[in-house]
Amino acid sequence: MVKHWRPVVAALATVALVGACGSDPEPTEEQAVQPATTSCASSGELTMWERSGGNKQMVDLLVEAWNTKNPDCKVALTYIPHTEMVGKIAQGIASGEVPDLMGMDLIYAPQFEKAQQLVDLTDRIKSWPEIATASKGHMTVATYEDKLYGVPLYADVSALFYNKDLFTKAGLDPEKPPTSLTELKEYADKITALGGDVKGYYLPGNCAGCNIFTVGPLMWASGAKIEATAEGDEPLTGDGVKQVLQFARDMVKAGNVHEGDRAENGETFHLQFGTGKVGMMGTGNFNITLARQQNPNMKFGIGLLPGVTPNSSASFIGGDLVVVPRGSKRVADAVNFMKFLLSDEVQVEVYAKALNLTTRTDMVDNKYFQAEPLVQDVAKALDVGRTPYTLTFFEQINSPQGPWLQMLQKAYYTDESLDTIIADAKKAMKTVASQG
Amino acid sequence: MRRRGYLVGAVCLALCAVMLMPLLASVLASLKPTAEAAASPPTYLPGALSLDSYQRLWEYQQGLPVYLFNSLGTAMLTILFTLLLTVPAAYGLARFPVPGKELLFVVLLLALIVPYQALLTPMFLMFAKLGLTNSLIGLAVVHTAIQLPFSLYVLRNSFAAVPRELEEAAIMDGASSVQSLRRVFLPATVPATVTVALFAFIMSWNEFLGALVMMSKSSKFTLPVVLAAARTETSLGGTDWGMLQAGITISIIPCVGVYLLLQRYYVSGLMSGAVK
Amino acid sequence: MRRGRRNGWVGLAYLSPALLFVLIFTVYPLVRMAWMSLHNWSLLTPPRWVGFDNYTRAAGDRQFWVSFGFTLKYTLIITPVLIVGGYLLALLTAHNSPVRRLTRTVVFTPVVIGLGVSSLLWYWLFSTDFGFVNKVLLDLGVIGDPVVWLGVDADRSNLAIIASVVWKVIGFGMVLFVGAIQAIPSDVTEASLVDGASYRQRVTRIILPLTLRTVLLVTLLSVIGSLLAFDQFYIMTAGQPQNETATSVFFVYLNSFPYLKLGYGAALSMVLALTILAFTVVQLLLTRRSHP
Repeated sequence: MVKHWRPVVAALATVALVGACGSDPEPTEEQAVQPATTSCASSGELTMWERSGGNKQMVDLLVEAWNTKNPDCKVALTYIPHTEMVGKIAQGIASGEVPDLMGMDLIYAPQFEKAQQLVDLTDRIKSWPEIATASKGHMTVATYEDKLYGVPLYADVSALFYNKDLFTKAGLDPEKPPTSLTELKEYADKITALGGDVKGYYLPGNCAGCNIFTVGPLMWASGAKIEATAEGDEPLTGDGVKQVLQFARDMVKAGNVHEGDRAENGETFHLQFGTGKVGMMGTGNFNITLARQQNPNMKFGIGLLPGVTPNSSASFIGGDLVVVPRGSKRVADAVNFMKFLLSDEVQVEVYAKALNLTTRTDMVDNKYFQAEPLVQDVAKALDVGRTPYTLTFFEQINSPQGPWLQMLQKAYYTDESLDTIIADAKKAMKTVASQG
Repeated sequence: MRRRGYLVGAVCLALCAVMLMPLLASVLASLKPTAEAAASPPTYLPGALSLDSYQRLWEYQQGLPVYLFNSLGTAMLTILFTLLLTVPAAYGLARFPVPGKELLFVVLLLALIVPYQALLTPMFLMFAKLGLTNSLIGLAVVHTAIQLPFSLYVLRNSFAAVPRELEEAAIMDGASSVQSLRRVFLPATVPATVTVALFAFIMSWNEFLGALVMMSKSSKFTLPVVLAAARTETSLGGTDWGMLQAGITISIIPCVGVYLLLQRYYVSGLMSGAVK
Repeated sequence: MRRGRRNGWVGLAYLSPALLFVLIFTVYPLVRMAWMSLHNWSLLTPPRWVGFDNYTRAAGDRQFWVSFGFTLKYTLIITPVLIVGGYLLALLTAHNSPVRRLTRTVVFTPVVIGLGVSSLLWYWLFSTDFGFVNKVLLDLGVIGDPVVWLGVDADRSNLAIIASVVWKVIGFGMVLFVGAIQAIPSDVTEASLVDGASYRQRVTRIILPLTLRTVLLVTLLSVIGSLLAFDQFYIMTAGQPQNETATSVFFVYLNSFPYLKLGYGAALSMVLALTILAFTVVQLLLTRRSHP
């Protein structure tokens, strides 16, 4: 194999950068920049961290594929309980005890990029053709001040799942999912009217993450903005915020959601749609396979999450990035792993075959998805999707104790004035953003 | 009088039933087949017995044996460190006119009033420099630091309760301080020592946050860390109830087993250590 | 009277390994924590000196007071339950008959299970759809619909958690009380029997006063334990709803780990430690007074 050694300067610059801000630099090891391949350049185990839960099955498959191809340089995965992931990475970085690469909830990436705790990979990966078609949401948060820090590991997008059987029973057209919040409410009322255990809609009452994933897009589609990007930025702007909160409150009042939804803390969120007792619900692409397993006879369809005006829509692009923490000793091989993930073969034969979304939009048209129209439907969400960009996502939005969930819970389950509730949340989010 | 005796007996048995029910429920749930373990509403008794949940736990990530070994190793080291430190210290505090004794005792008990969760990060950064992270020894040191005040308190009282005559007799025979420790005090404080060891074991075997902070390789994780991860195990972070029950049962068995075996020691040990 | 039959310095030598250990692994991290409390530090960027800002910030932080108030409430409810309940159990089982011995063994069993594990167990028992508590109550007809025990209503969550903790630790107090009751010299009790004292009189006039020291000790331990409560809330409610069940230590944890506000977390810990210290001193003074 021919090795093109890029100018040593680049390597030295990387090392200097790493060393300059590191308490525990690796000065002896020069990590030369060389063209990436889809296999390992050196040998020895690559250590990788990934958060538990979520897409364990998918990540296991990816790692297995790499390990089969690179038996001398297997990736050794360590799953960290997802609630502890941020703290754990920060401690690892502060002490120099970091893995060679890691999967990171994409939402937290900007915080670590800004603090210069991830290895700048711009020179190594920016020119790849695969980068141009990689999921936009992922690439936005993988970029900080024009520098590139990672590639997608997997993608979760949100969309509106609806139960075709219940649609038919309620006299609705099973091929036409609602295209506005008004329709959504109307349809939900009709499905709830079927009675029994069936409810028209679903709201996860105690899960901040589930709500930004499925209720956030309703606000975006209605023209609102949610999080404060940085200090001084105004969060929760646009009429859409109040309109969606009012919509959700009406849904709860009309009895369109199950009583028990209120306690949903994310642990059974993914199981709800498959019960067949929910008419419509915002959920993610992972739910396709799962609902099939739970309820093989249920017919369902997928539309986009709508906003106030007809035919508006939005989606939350979530998932993980692969990044390289500062102090990693195997940057070149971490980059090779990234190249491997983005390769046509892995996109089709690993991601698509498992009916997971491909992380490149140009790979959506493949034989596995063609046999599975629902995946194609959900993939449409990639085009209208976005990923919030903030340095304090956890505290503003994702924390079970954060202002986002507090606002929603008050809106859903109390009669407090929505304006007051929004004003309180605004203030809390701004405070968080200013301390970030 | 007899009627009252029956009444007391009945109340006692009812109490036993209430106390044992949760444990029994968990053990039974761990033996349900996968689908039944996730059933809502739950069944009281397993429809069929199955080791599915244990099998999933056994094969979980690095495999249960690795985690059991780590947990057990850490717990044993914690017992060792705790006893090596607190037995002599209790002896010194209880039987010697150590200068500034009261103050030293307070310093030694300091960890009792500080939330140890806040000390973990400074400890972790220090351990990273010392190369004690990802090491059972390092984790055992953390656990020893957490457990030391309680152990010292119990042992000191227990050493103080040993009759002075016994010690004096030994001194008359010309025993050195080490010899009296060995001949007089160690035998006399066996129950307290066993108690301290038992509680050190329980603490270390079950401790979660410290283990998570100190370990960053799944081959070094302990059982509680794995249980926490198992709570969000099914796709998209749902709970695998069956596996969780199996984990709970496996966590409980050694604790209860050791307790029942050593019961006659720890009751008197705890009393001599605290009632004084 | 203290005669120097043994040399104090020899004693110090016995003490020194533990002392050294505590200096390195408790006092040093504690000093670092105090230092951290005067800085803003995320671990990702270098610490920045802020003086006492973190402390003044705590005073104005609503969540700090909510957490503190909730922790006090939890402590004030659970302590009497543990002490009175434990004492009643001790009176019930203090005699050595087989059934009483069995009861003591059984009631103490949960004490040896870790708090984290018992919290996971109860998290399951109280789970709305999968738990036994709702199942039993529904089957008995006590409730008509499944009750959401954890995470929606603060008082209900608190109640559920208190029930689980009482189950877990009540045996600890009981065993110590039994020990204290059994340590009462038999001539004292016999004398009272001769005097024809009723059972209640014996309890209030003899047994209780003679075991008061143990009662105070168990109270102290239980209060410290409750003020530092963490595991049960971390596992069973994660502070929900609305952070109303986030105890003080849980708030410390949030800042020190997921929020990456180590300085603030350290300041909160210092405040908490000083509160507990003050409380302990007061209680010890009271104990001394009651037993000169």
